[in-house]
Amino acid sequence: MALDVNAIRNDFPILSRVLPNGHPLVYFDNAATSQKPKCVIDAMTQYYEQYNSNAHRANHTLADEATQALESARNKISSYFGTNPENMIYTSGATEAINLVAYGWARYNLQKGDVIVITEMEHHADIVPWQELSKEKGVEVRYVPINTESFTLDMEAFDVALDGAKLVCVVHTSNVLGIRNPVEEIILKSHAVGSRVLLDCAQGAPHERISFDNMDADFIAISAHKMAGPTGIGCLLVKSDVMDKMGPFMTGGSMIRRVTTDGSTFQEGHAMFETGTPRIAEAIGWGAAVDWLSNFDMKEVHAHVHNLAHFASQEMSKINGIRIFGDPSRSDSSGAVSFLHDSIQSQDLAILLDEGGFAVRTGHHCAQPLMDALGVPSTNRASFWIYNTEEEVESFVKHLRYICDRFS
Amino acid sequence: MTSRLWPEHLDPVIAEFQDCFDSMERYELLFEYSAKHPSPLPPEEWTDENQVHGCQSRAHIECSLDSSGRFLMRGGADAQIVQGLMSVTAMAVNGMKPERVSSMSPEYADAMGIRNSLTPSRANGFLNMFERVRSEAEKMV
Repeated sequence: MALDVNAIRNDFPILSRVLPNGHPLVYFDNAATSQKPKCVIDAMTQYYEQYNSNAHRANHTLADEATQALESARNKISSYFGTNPENMIYTSGATEAINLVAYGWARYNLQKGDVIVITEMEHHADIVPWQELSKEKGVEVRYVPINTESFTLDMEAFDVALDGAKLVCVVHTSNVLGIRNPVEEIILKSHAVGSRVLLDCAQGAPHERISFDNMDADFIAISAHKMAGPTGIGCLLVKSDVMDKMGPFMTGGSMIRRVTTDGSTFQEGHAMFETGTPRIAEAIGWGAAVDWLSNFDMKEVHAHVHNLAHFASQEMSKINGIRIFGDPSRSDSSGAVSFLHDSIQSQDLAILLDEGGFAVRTGHHCAQPLMDALGVPSTNRASFWIYNTEEEVESFVKHLRYICDRFS
Repeated sequence: MTSRLWPEHLDPVIAEFQDCFDSMERYELLFEYSAKHPSPLPPEEWTDENQVHGCQSRAHIECSLDSSGRFLMRGGADAQIVQGLMSVTAMAVNGMKPERVSSMSPEYADAMGIRNSLTPSRANGFLNMFERVRSEAEKMV
């Protein structure tokens, strides 16, 4: 059954907004953050209005309700990602999740000379922690290049880079190119040489039902805010035997078991890595988001988003001067369409698109090594999601054509 | 005497922008002004030292005093909207005494109708560029 996009749009109050310039909002910046359905906003409001309290810390009614809601959200979210609550560590987002692997696992388990394989396609959040670890511990970081014709990973180079690897870190779906990497093959090959695998699923989770246990990755990093959830929360999914080999990343708050003047002991399992006061409202909001997303077949969501991206890229390609980065014709491609005009600078183009009510992203998208590989300093990026429509794409292409005709 | 927010010689420029039919026409005019920069800074002179930070695009500004002690702003940007705003700014400040430049207000960008130019986070980076010019002038006083 096809998605009822009009009914879905009704769940998002912001989509009926008219901008100060009088144009209705057309939101095509979903790869940066998705909009939030009303049920998510309501769940967070209800927490603050009805049972705001610190979790795990007191015996009063509100604390009990907040604790139950926090843990209920963990159950829902971990179940949505096909694993157990014990395998899920709440973080502030995918960036902190990746840093948690760097500081909580790699720092304890890797030695000087050990090899970490990453790719040119990574977000800075999956590059810089490894560069910093390399400086600190002397681990070797190898970069797998992309093929700039197909925009896919050079898998022959990956095979070569894998020799001696202890950790492979790969983005599931590129935030710039929309390309979905062959993560199943990458996991199999990495495990075959004894390497652990970290997948950055920040972009993959809004487009595909991530099933942690079935995928068999050792770590998966996810952000809530790109999949209808609130900002400020995400998670690291970790295999049990791998979590047993992790040590504290940050200390204090919920992760403490006992502190004396002689020293401290820590909680075990996921609790060891959840410091400070939990992100209670955010977890409740994310729980509501996965409840909402569970109403849909993610294969249908992907098909809808992919069709929009493919249609948009086909129509945009007909405009003189527009160049597309990525291959939205691939059936596994996500909703991100990066593009440039050959004479209108990307920031200028974004400002002129905004004048028509179209929200797109501009810049290096926190992927400067990928920009270097592509030979450009920045791109414009339109990224689509579940509530976008073909009519919005048509009006976007019309406005883009108008800008290109008038300003180039 | 009423204190002016921008120098009198900028009035015709602002009037030209105010006469535009809509925002797209204003941006079109700004694109035209980007080619009219009275003292451009060519890309080969763009350095880390003269880069204006806080702009999404690349923007560079060099400020100096000419032989008669008057302010001279040279600027360059890869985005034409930023370059156009630089052109108008250079038209405003070049030839003025640095004291006058250091006390100038950025209100002329709003008067031109370039929407939200005075919002610090706005992508066109106008405010960062203007503040760089103003603070350079302040150092010369």
